[in-house]
Amino acid sequence: MSASTAESTKGASATAAGFTPELQMANMLGLCEAQMESAIHDSDKAVDALIQAFTCLVDTSRSVNALTAQLPAEIRETVGVGLNQQVEAISKQMASAVVAFQFYDKLSQRLGHVRYSLSTLALFVCDRAQTTSPDQWRRLLNTLRRLYRTDEERQIFQSVMEGIAEEGTVTIAALKKDTDAVQVGEIELF
Amino acid sequence: MSGVILAVDDSASMRQMVRFTLEGAGYKVIQANDGVEALELAKTSGADLVLTDVNMPRMDGLTLVRELRALDSYKYVPMLVLTTESGQDTKMRGKQAGATGWIVKPFNPEQLLATIARVLQ
Repeated sequence: MSASTAESTKGASATAAGFTPELQMANMLGLCEAQMESAIHDSDKAVDALIQAFTCLVDTSRSVNALTAQLPAEIRETVGVGLNQQVEAISKQMASAVVAFQFYDKLSQRLGHVRYSLSTLALFVCDRAQTTSPDQWRRLLNTLRRLYRTDEERQIFQSVMEGIAEEGTVTIAALKKDTDAVQVGEIELF
Repeated sequence: MSGVILAVDDSASMRQMVRFTLEGAGYKVIQANDGVEALELAKTSGADLVLTDVNMPRMDGLTLVRELRALDSYKYVPMLVLTTESGQDTKMRGKQAGATGWIVKPFNPEQLLATIARVLQ
């Protein structure tokens, strides 16, 4: 739970002096955020270790490549060709790993946005005057809309909000995408 | 390939991925954690190309591009934005700030190298 959310729920607790639906909601949202924060922290540590291992692999591969180039010509003709092929195969795998690691980075960023959304909502629901005002809800929605800046986030935001507007509910199936293909980002030169 | 590339990203893992890719192709890579650090580094160690993220603490990537473009030594240096953001509005702001191009994460190493080679020509 972020400091601001904790402050807010503490404040709500003091003034409400007991059970209120708003306080319960804020507490539940704070719990979700804390769980997410802890999971991200643990994952970050694991991925850092993985990246360290990957760095060693890259360095070793480059050293093997450099050593192969230094082999005497007669040995390079026999053993060197095989070694070069192996190094090339490793390089291709590394390129795939570079793309995959970036997905983790993007995931952390997206989860960070979800955490921010949860803490914003926790603060919002503590104030009954805000929760009963359609204008304040619209304002909150606009704040969250600006937060979601990747293609995926925008698509989900749109699907969910349009789904709510049109049908009152959104099915997970409606949000499912083809996850088989690993897609890299577009490049545009100005 | 030769040349000095200034890679700017607040994510250490992203900087690593960029470094692997560029050093493997023969470029020298200098790194900064945010726009403020990058601006200082750019002034002291002339880079041939700047590759920057957008959302960073202290100074964002688009402000960095704008600040660098104001310097005589970086008026014509290619500056590529590497970000998860793909909205047309943000791209347009990048173009107006003086960016040379826009690359959406995750990048494909081969495509990134081809793009860099192209803008460095």
